[in-house]
Amino acid sequence: MSDNSDRPVSRRRFLKRVGQGAATVATAGVAGGAMHAAATKPAADVEQRNEVQYGMLIDLRRCIGCQACTVACKAEADVPMGVARSWVEYVEKGRYPNAGRSFLPRLCNHCSEPHCVRVCPTGATYERPQDGLIVIDQGVCIGCLYCAHACPYDMRFLNPVTRFADKCDMCIHRVSQGLVPSCVNTCQGRARVFGDVNDPNSEIHKLIARNPVSVMRETYGTQPNVYYIGLDTTDENTKKPGQYVRVTTNKAKSPKRT
Amino acid sequence: MEHHLMWNWPMIVYLFLAGLGAGALAVSGIVVLWGPAGEFRHRAALVARLGAFIGPLPVIIGTILLIYELGRPFRALNLFTSNLWFMVFNPSPMNWGSWFILLFCIFATVYALTFIPWEALLSGERGKRLEARAERMRSPMAVICVPLAIAMAIYTAILLAAIPARPLWHTPVLWLLFTVSAISTGLSAIILVQRFMFRKPGAVRGAVRREDPAFRVSEYYLVSMKVLLIIAELVVIGLFIMFAHMTINSANFAVQVLLPGGELATTFWVGVILVGLLIPAFIEGFYLLRTAVLGHEFEWPYVINVSAPIAILFGGLMLRYVIVVGGQITGPIGI
Ligand code: SF4
Ligand code: SF4
Ligand code: SF4
Repeated sequence: MSDNSDRPVSRRRFLKRVGQGAATVATAGVAGGAMHAAATKPAADVEQRNEVQYGMLIDLRRCIGCQACTVACKAEADVPMGVARSWVEYVEKGRYPNAGRSFLPRLCNHCSEPHCVRVCPTGATYERPQDGLIVIDQGVCIGCLYCAHACPYDMRFLNPVTRFADKCDMCIHRVSQGLVPSCVNTCQGRARVFGDVNDPNSEIHKLIARNPVSVMRETYGTQPNVYYIGLDTTDENTKKPGQYVRVTTNKAKSPKRT
Repeated sequence: MEHHLMWNWPMIVYLFLAGLGAGALAVSGIVVLWGPAGEFRHRAALVARLGAFIGPLPVIIGTILLIYELGRPFRALNLFTSNLWFMVFNPSPMNWGSWFILLFCIFATVYALTFIPWEALLSGERGKRLEARAERMRSPMAVICVPLAIAMAIYTAILLAAIPARPLWHTPVLWLLFTVSAISTGLSAIILVQRFMFRKPGAVRGAVRREDPAFRVSEYYLVSMKVLLIIAELVVIGLFIMFAHMTINSANFAVQVLLPGGELATTFWVGVILVGLLIPAFIEGFYLLRTAVLGHEFEWPYVINVSAPIAILFGGLMLRYVIVVGGQITGPIGI
């Protein structure tokens, strides 16, 4: 699939460091045309980054926990019974009258440093160079589930029908046609925003720049591309004595492997 | 609590068998390379032969088990083709581990072939020629097999330890734990088979007679080695728990499943520590000390004689069980 051929490729860069690299070229006295070419190519000392990096922003202030995305995802990808690519967790805390409930929609973070890719022994899981999405080649995967252990977000599972690893693929079949992912399309509260986080003109880029955002388990260094506004990191495991916290994951229970 | 396990018994048994095979092969190769001469010569040759025969079998069985569990046997070849077609190095421990398994199975089988008594099997010139060639091959093969076996044992741990998202596995102590356990179970398997062979008084196998004084003395040394390995394993388990417990993060939470009150505490403390390590150590230690201190003959009842190595093998399997399951029912803390 060549997804970029019919779309104008954003040549602007998200990373300031690239700009600095280009500036170095400029001071070296390169002529205008060549300078433009240099600016569109990453400078040698700058780590290669995707020109296009698709990602998602979920504004939790707008999420009503309706699970419409869960259902839309299930229908869109024909996910078998007992497993799920996306779900919405409920986080409840406090005691009446000082109690609250928030929602946490989950999907693959399409990390920029994905550990699932690093451990895959066959190369079935890889990062698409054209849009930075992490996908699984179902023709290569052997179903060893090493990747499922490696994902710090528990996003991968064994598809009971194909017997291969499966997870959210950011609806590549839709986004490569210029549509938004199914879960974004269906979201009642418009909590989910999809786009190219590297494109300064995109809605998602602007929202990330203007709002306090966070990602899940940042300390793992996976550099997720799914951002949240208003993420509550309260965890049942780390609650203090006397605190009331209940997290309902609503995640489908996978059937036994053997 | 009901848990969904992505890696279940096939993986647990595989890790155990791979460790056992690697351990047996390592012991055999070390005996071939640095084994005793003189009156212990025949006895050492028997240990080396048993180790060589035990070596490849469990690894092959474990690998078949794992491939069978994947459901599509030929898909497993993708482990190798991705490297071969694109000539890339894949840093995934499962990838280079598969190459280790392949090399291990080939070399361990060739090494085992050098121990077959060709002369007795094939009559005439051919048997003699093969026997001579096998004997020449033995030491060079052992030089290859010992590092390969140790690498195998370490790989079974690195496979798990490479995953930061599984805090119980992601520890630099695990490779030591699995390697010591591998050698200990490998040696126990050799001793166990030997005890079956010399079950009856007066039993003679090749050049080894049960009644020889050298037999008892060598048995004494083998068992001492085993007890030392058990002590080493206890120390490493202590380090493993301390390391996790002294960490301020998910590892601390994860190790609680093994500590009293945890979900796997009973399996761990009874199965691994008590049955797998302490009881055999005490039984064998008692008979060792009786010989060492009181100067008794190193002789003990058959039932105890056989049950000690069986307990060690059981402990090795249970160790893989608690680590593999414990790693999966715990995870990172915080969101
Ligand atoms: S969220 Fe998990 S499965 Fe998705 S890219 Fe990151 S590590 Fe891989
Ligand atoms: S299950 Fe498939 S995608 Fe995951 S690590 Fe194994 S081969 Fe790679
Ligand atoms: S992007 Fe597509 S596959 Fe991923 S959670 Fe949304 S609907 Fe599911």
